[in-house]
Amino acid sequence: MKPDDISTAITQALIQGGAQWLVATIVAFLPALWTMALILHLGRPYVLRTLRRCGLRLGADVWWMSYLLMRDAVLVLTFALSWIFFEPNIVTGSPLPITGPLAALFLLFALAVKIARRVDDDVNAYRLSTAALVIGATLYYFPLVFAVEAASQEHLSWFAQNLTSNANVPLALGIMWVSLAGVALVAAWLFFRALASANRSMTRRATARPVSPAREPAAVAQ
Amino acid sequence: MSVQDLTNAIISGINAGGEQFLEGTLAAMLPVMWLAILGLHLGRPYILDMIDRFTLRLGADLLWLIYVALRDLLIVSGVVMSFMFFFPDVVITDQLPLTGGLAAATLFGVLLIKLMGDPDHDPRAYAAITYLLGIGALFYFVPYLLGVQANAVSAGRTADISNFLVTSTNPFWAVGMAYVSIALLAIMGAVAAGYTILTGGRAEVPAAEAQADAAK
Repeated sequence: MKPDDISTAITQALIQGGAQWLVATIVAFLPALWTMALILHLGRPYVLRTLRRCGLRLGADVWWMSYLLMRDAVLVLTFALSWIFFEPNIVTGSPLPITGPLAALFLLFALAVKIARRVDDDVNAYRLSTAALVIGATLYYFPLVFAVEAASQEHLSWFAQNLTSNANVPLALGIMWVSLAGVALVAAWLFFRALASANRSMTRRATARPVSPAREPAAVAQ
Repeated sequence: MSVQDLTNAIISGINAGGEQFLEGTLAAMLPVMWLAILGLHLGRPYILDMIDRFTLRLGADLLWLIYVALRDLLIVSGVVMSFMFFFPDVVITDQLPLTGGLAAATLFGVLLIKLMGDPDHDPRAYAAITYLLGIGALFYFVPYLLGVQANAVSAGRTADISNFLVTSTNPFWAVGMAYVSIALLAIMGAVAAGYTILTGGRAEVPAAEAQADAAK
C-alpha cells in the first residue's frame, strides 16, 4: 500500500467515521434527553410545591420561568434531535430503535397540545400531553434497551432482529413513512392554526384601535 | 489489505473507541456527581442556618431556590448519566460497578419521594431520602472502589471479589442486575406517571376531587 492510499483511507475514514460518530453521538444523547424531558414534565407538582413557599413574587417568578424554559427547551431539543429517525439512509444503515419515529411523533403531539391549549392551566390538557409523552418514551426506551443495546443477549435475539431498524428494514421504513406523514399532518395543523390565530388577534386589535382625535377632523374634511 | 479495509478499520476504531471513551468519561464523572449530591443533601442544615442570618427576604429566597435547583438537578443528572447501566451490551463490554444500576434506581426513588411527598418539610420523607441516598452511594462506591479501581492491585481471593464487582468480568450477574434495575425503574416510572396524571400536574389533588374519587 502506498502513502497516498493510506492518506486516502484516513481522509475517507475521517469523513465517513465523523458522520457516523455524529449520528452515534445524537443516538447516545437521546435517552438522556428523553429521561430529562420526562422527569422535568412529571416533576411539575414538586416544582409547584417549592414555588408556593417563596416569600417574594420575584423569587417565585424566577423559579417558575427557569422551570418552564428548561422543560420546554428540552422537549423541543429532543424532537429536533429525533429528526435522525426520519432520514431513510440513517434508519436503514444504523441500529436505531424501530419505533423511534413513532416516539418522535408522540413527542410532537405533546408539543402541539402545549401550543394549542394552556397546559399549565388546563388539567385535562396536561394529562393529555403527559400521556403522549409517556407513550412516546415507552416506544423509544423499549426497543432501545431490549433490542439495540442487547444484541449480545441470545434470549433477546427476537427483539434484536425485529425491533432494530437496520435488521428489519421493511418494517422500519414503513413505520418511518407513516410517522413522517403524521408529523407532516401535525405540523400543517400547527402552521394553519398559528396563521389563523395571528390573523384573528391582529384583526381584533386593528378594529379595536381608537381613531386618533388629531386626525379625525382632517379625515372628515376630506 | 485494501484501501477500503483500512478505511473500515479506522472507522470502526473511531466509533468503538469514541463510544467507550464517552461511557468511560460518564463512569468517571459519576463518583463526583454522587459526592456532590451527598454533600448538598447533607448540607441542608448549613444552608438553613445561613438563610436565618439574611436580613433581606430576597437574598434568603434566592439562596434557597439556587440550593434546591442545584441539589435536585444534580440528582436528575445522576439518573440521566446512569442510563448506561440499563444497557446489557454496555455493561458486559465496559468496566462498570456491578450495582451501579441499583444505585441509579435509588436515585430515581429519591426523585419519586420528592414528587409524591414533601421532604423539605416532612421529617419522615427527608429520612427516607437520606437512607436511599446512603444505600445508593454504597451501591455505587463499594464496587467502584473495590472492583473497578482495585482490580489491578488485588491478588488471590481479593482479586476474585474484585472481578466479581466489575460488570465486564462478571457478565452473568451484570446483565441480571441490569434487568432488576430496569424493572425497578419501570415500576417507579409508572407510579410517577400515574401520580402526575392523577393530580393533573397540580401540587396536590383538591380535597373535593379526592372525595369524589374515593366515593367512586
